[in-house]
Amino acid sequence: MYKKVLALLTVVALLAVGFSVASQPTVAQMKIVYNSYASDPIPRAFTESVVAAWNKANPNMPVELNIINHEDFKQAIRTYLVADPAPDVLDWFAGNRAQFFISRGLIADFSDVWQAEGWDAVYPAGFKALATVDGKQYFLPNNYYWWALYFRPSILKDAGLEPPKTWDDLLNACRVLNEKGIIPITIGTKAPWPAAAWFDYINMRLNGPQFHLDLMLLKESYTDPRVKAVFLKWKELFDNKCYIENSAALEWADALTPMAQGKAAMYLMGGFITDSWQLAAKDDPNLQADLDFVRFPIIDPNVPIGEDAPTDGVFLAARGGNLEAAKKFLAYLGSREVAQRGVDELGRLPVRTDVSTERFTEAQKKGIALIQSADMVLQFYDRDTTPEMAERGLNAFASFFADQSEANIDALLADLEETRARLAAEQAKE
Amino acid sequence: MTTTAQPSNVAYLSAAPVVQRARKNRSQQIFFFSVMLIFTLIWLIPMFSALYTSIRVQGDLTRNGFWSLPSEINFGNFATAWERGRVGTYLGNSFIITIPSLIGMLFLSSLAAYALARYKFKGNMLLYFMFVAGTMLPFQILLLPVFYLTTRLGLYNQFGGLILIHTAFQLGFCTFVLRNFMRTVPTEILEAARIDGAGEFRLYWQIMLPLSLPALAALATLEFTWVFNDYLWAIVLISSAGKKPVTAGVAALKGQFNTDWPVLVAGALIATLPTVFVFTFLQRYFIQGLTLGSGK
Repeated sequence: MYKKVLALLTVVALLAVGFSVASQPTVAQMKIVYNSYASDPIPRAFTESVVAAWNKANPNMPVELNIINHEDFKQAIRTYLVADPAPDVLDWFAGNRAQFFISRGLIADFSDVWQAEGWDAVYPAGFKALATVDGKQYFLPNNYYWWALYFRPSILKDAGLEPPKTWDDLLNACRVLNEKGIIPITIGTKAPWPAAAWFDYINMRLNGPQFHLDLMLLKESYTDPRVKAVFLKWKELFDNKCYIENSAALEWADALTPMAQGKAAMYLMGGFITDSWQLAAKDDPNLQADLDFVRFPIIDPNVPIGEDAPTDGVFLAARGGNLEAAKKFLAYLGSREVAQRGVDELGRLPVRTDVSTERFTEAQKKGIALIQSADMVLQFYDRDTTPEMAERGLNAFASFFADQSEANIDALLADLEETRARLAAEQAKE
Repeated sequence: MTTTAQPSNVAYLSAAPVVQRARKNRSQQIFFFSVMLIFTLIWLIPMFSALYTSIRVQGDLTRNGFWSLPSEINFGNFATAWERGRVGTYLGNSFIITIPSLIGMLFLSSLAAYALARYKFKGNMLLYFMFVAGTMLPFQILLLPVFYLTTRLGLYNQFGGLILIHTAFQLGFCTFVLRNFMRTVPTEILEAARIDGAGEFRLYWQIMLPLSLPALAALATLEFTWVFNDYLWAIVLISSAGKKPVTAGVAALKGQFNTDWPVLVAGALIATLPTVFVFTFLQRYFIQGLTLGSGK
């Protein structure tokens, strides 16, 4: 009996060893692994075709493209970066979220590529700043989009309204549209980030972008009366019944439906709204053209103008298995050729200054002007502040959407301040 | 008990109450039938809405909302999911992961269960309780240790890593069920075989295992769906798109901002087919397994 048990144990042990041996990656492979979070249909197709073009030109250094569900990617990146070997190239957000991994030594320095490709000449200083930590380049910003107050020109025109330029215009538009039985502003807060855009903008318009940035960097307090003023200002929109009623039941894209149906007039949203809009208005050219945007209304004309323009890009993992080849692929991703294709095929804004803007749509030209005429450009609430603060903040905005009483505002601000103070203390220790 | 009840039963033997009872039964039946029908319909709403979404186009959904009549019907979503969404590859991966895990866990746990059920040795109960305790462990707390273990073993991003963790993690539950089932097998059968000269391994292989077939089949059905539907381990231990099981693969069709829901739902429907298939054809064993030992 013992012999048999022994034999069995040996078999099991051999099996386990067999698994691990059989699954050892072969040393000879020169594959570059690229993990991307471009899981939306249009960016996905674009990324696939950019990689396909590389693979055709470089059969000796093929890129294995892994497109991962965006939300999963955000969680799983922590495991990707410490795995052995890590994927070589990864999509990521510029700013605080990249900083987080750079400071932990998980992102490779590619200053040599930056120098060799002469990117100093074609990347504007603001974007170089996003790429650089302590004089070394770690992050390649490759596209960004703008946020703006989108609206349907035909609906505003029917109501005898101009696109709102000031806060009073906006409140007035709410009154007029409500009288006509049209929902002034649609929003989906099931995932609360669309609400964060409102906080960003009201804070920037009321207290200026510098104060907003300092708040994001945990340097200012959430119990500061200026932050409470933001919520009180925000409350005016609820008092004037500006928002769609069941926003908490809607994803951002669900909230687009009333707008497409002509039941709602405005939506504060990022440039990617056009991807969905094009699909919704596919066989209706009039509807397709019936979407425009303006800068978020001015509250105090003496306050400098801040805008949100979230920037995405790629970086090289410090523990990647194929760093040298990955650097070549990175140079390709940052090249004029790919940037130009991104502009033409994806409709996002290019980071490089030397791409041809001939084929820009009116919307793109307007979007660029919007960003370039701003006094300060930030990312977005959940990219500018630390991940934990962002999570608390987003929940607080959702809670505000459910209850705008002053008691609730005070409670949620006290709660946010507690988190901020703790995180700021932790940061100071590091 | 039965004897005291008899006199009252006699009364029912007269004709009228019998008719009454039949009528009562009929109305009861109608009542239960309609209640069950309503519940069934409610249960089927998600299924129906999934089927309905899978034949529409995203633009139509955005423009007209979910509960609208379709402006066009598109069966191509299934083909798109299969080819562009690579659901075919992912399904293959799911089988590559699920089947060895199933074989591994059933084989190993039946060995352990046999020993725990049929041999008297010191620490038997202790071992058994350890298996039971293992089932109580929430696997979320194992994520990090298992992740580091697999990277150290070179099993990260390999099928082997997923197969091993599924096998190991389900051993506790399988052993618990099989051990309890094997204890219901009469000792005499084993003793008779032992007297006839069968070795210990042969007792296990040729007597205990065939007798445990109902339990094994029930477990296999259950474990198949658990492993097949696993999502968390797949996204933690696999990073290559080409090695993902169907759960994680289909999820990659969901975008950050824009999602082609009809294609995603079509992919998800294809992904559920194997589990539906397994349940339909093995449910006989599954139900037998549920009531194991209750009819004694």
